[in-house]
Amino acid sequence: MNSKERVLNLFKKEPIDRIPCFSGMGNVTEEGINRLGYKFAGIHLDAKQMADTAASTSKLFGYECAVVPVDLCLEAEAMGCVINVYPHAEGILYPTIKEKLIHNEDEMEISIPVDVAKRGRIPLVKEAIGMLKADIGNDTAIGTYVLGPFTLAGQIMELNDLLKLSFKKPAKVSALLDKLADVIIATAKELESAGPDYITVREMGATSDVLSPRVFKSMILPPLQKIIKEIKVPTVLHICGKTNDIVTFMMEANPTAISVEQKNDVAETRRKLGPDALIFGNFDPYNVLVAGTEELVRDTMRKCIDNGVSAVWPGCDIWPTVPPANFNAMMDEVKKYGGKK
Amino acid sequence: MPTREEVLEKLKNGVIQYDEDACKEGANEAIAIGLDANEAIFEGLVAGMEEVGRLFEAQEYFVPEILMCADALYAGLDILKPHCKQMDLGVKGAVVIGTVEGDVHDIGKNLVKMMFDVAGFTVYDLGRDVPLDQFVEEQLRTDSELVCLSAMMTTSMIGMPKVIEKIKARNPNVMIMIGGAPTSKELADKWGADGYAEDASNALKEAIKMVTFLKNLRAEKEAEKKV
Repeated sequence: MNSKERVLNLFKKEPIDRIPCFSGMGNVTEEGINRLGYKFAGIHLDAKQMADTAASTSKLFGYECAVVPVDLCLEAEAMGCVINVYPHAEGILYPTIKEKLIHNEDEMEISIPVDVAKRGRIPLVKEAIGMLKADIGNDTAIGTYVLGPFTLAGQIMELNDLLKLSFKKPAKVSALLDKLADVIIATAKELESAGPDYITVREMGATSDVLSPRVFKSMILPPLQKIIKEIKVPTVLHICGKTNDIVTFMMEANPTAISVEQKNDVAETRRKLGPDALIFGNFDPYNVLVAGTEELVRDTMRKCIDNGVSAVWPGCDIWPTVPPANFNAMMDEVKKYGGKK
Repeated sequence: MPTREEVLEKLKNGVIQYDEDACKEGANEAIAIGLDANEAIFEGLVAGMEEVGRLFEAQEYFVPEILMCADALYAGLDILKPHCKQMDLGVKGAVVIGTVEGDVHDIGKNLVKMMFDVAGFTVYDLGRDVPLDQFVEEQLRTDSELVCLSAMMTTSMIGMPKVIEKIKARNPNVMIMIGGAPTSKELADKWGADGYAEDASNALKEAIKMVTFLKNLRAEKEAEKKV
């Protein structure tokens, strides 16, 4: 069973030989970038560099996926925001939005360009997905991702205003999120046409560290349901932070799987959602994989599996400076231990 | 004329119920009845914010509520501030604060800043997405004894140890506080930071603690003088 079959069977809930170790979020490594002779700031702007770098994690470490894009600015950029890729940065800095689209409450009634999915770097990422399919798509699952509506809203307007308005003017925020759901659907469909095996919806901003479960259900869940319904390939809904109180709502969004991070008590989530739910998670990609010892990495992998994850996923993007020895330890431990469960 | 207790209660509840008008009214009443402005701030507004911190921990309040409470606190603080006598904390009371380069999130940073505003610090707010060297330069320029670095994303946190190292190399007495979702006590220790706060509520608590710490420092110095 190759890694692609393993991942696809998992999504179909068909038999697998062991738990896979992959991700639906960024997982490029400095090791991969350096070997290719690329610069981090450049890989966001060139389809071949993006695809090569994404493929390198699977080629170097046997990671069981390849995922593009690498940054989180795709949709906001297509909507007209200017991004900063920090071309002169010494270390690794992920692109951010330079200028917001909405500056105050009165500007919230935005109109969405009909060809939004053809704008910005969406065509570039689509091309990169095609390249990945051609390069390693026979053996390795190819993933891509879109943002969730609340996270996207936090990029195109001040998060401070968005959060307060979600309390003071919920109808106004809901109307915006519904429009953004359309942008996300258009983006997902465009990327889907390049043939990825699964799409992750990253709604990082709507964690219950920030919003109450009540607000999540009334305001975030409806646009998430709308988005996920329109995606045909398997979907994974990822939310960061303390998600134990909203995992049932996450399931109500009806994704193929949910992904949670290290602040989620996965054993409890497993008990709550039952044996059939696909739950991905949930190791700390920085404190364990980058800053931890090999022993900590191995212990953590076993713990994730013991707690009942269906696939070992990082809680966020894999940080590029991950030591190769730790990456190898992660793969080795999941291969050894992931078949016993 | 309202009593001292009534005014303090109005300020406190104004913050808890995110009622900006009540905080303004309470602040004006405090001045009208001759209440010490620092007392109105600490026993009224800050007492309210402490309760907000508790409500956040109990998951009755979430970030939107905290932000609205902060607006109410500032509504009162803006009126009371000009009437404050300089509080002698035994230190100069200046802080450099900002969100590190690569990160455009500033909610936690702003909450910590609020506590320093409350405590009468001079706050040099560098804003967000701040190049690392700017923290070092600003600390040198202002001779601030505190530097607060914030990062919401793992992906932007990595710059922190470099700044800490540079600042400590030049002035080992500068206290450094790091904050944001990906930070941890272990990282703070490893990087040589003096304090850490992982989220908005903790940031609030840590800032209150730091202010208290400085007060105690002053008390210790006073005690030493007497000996």
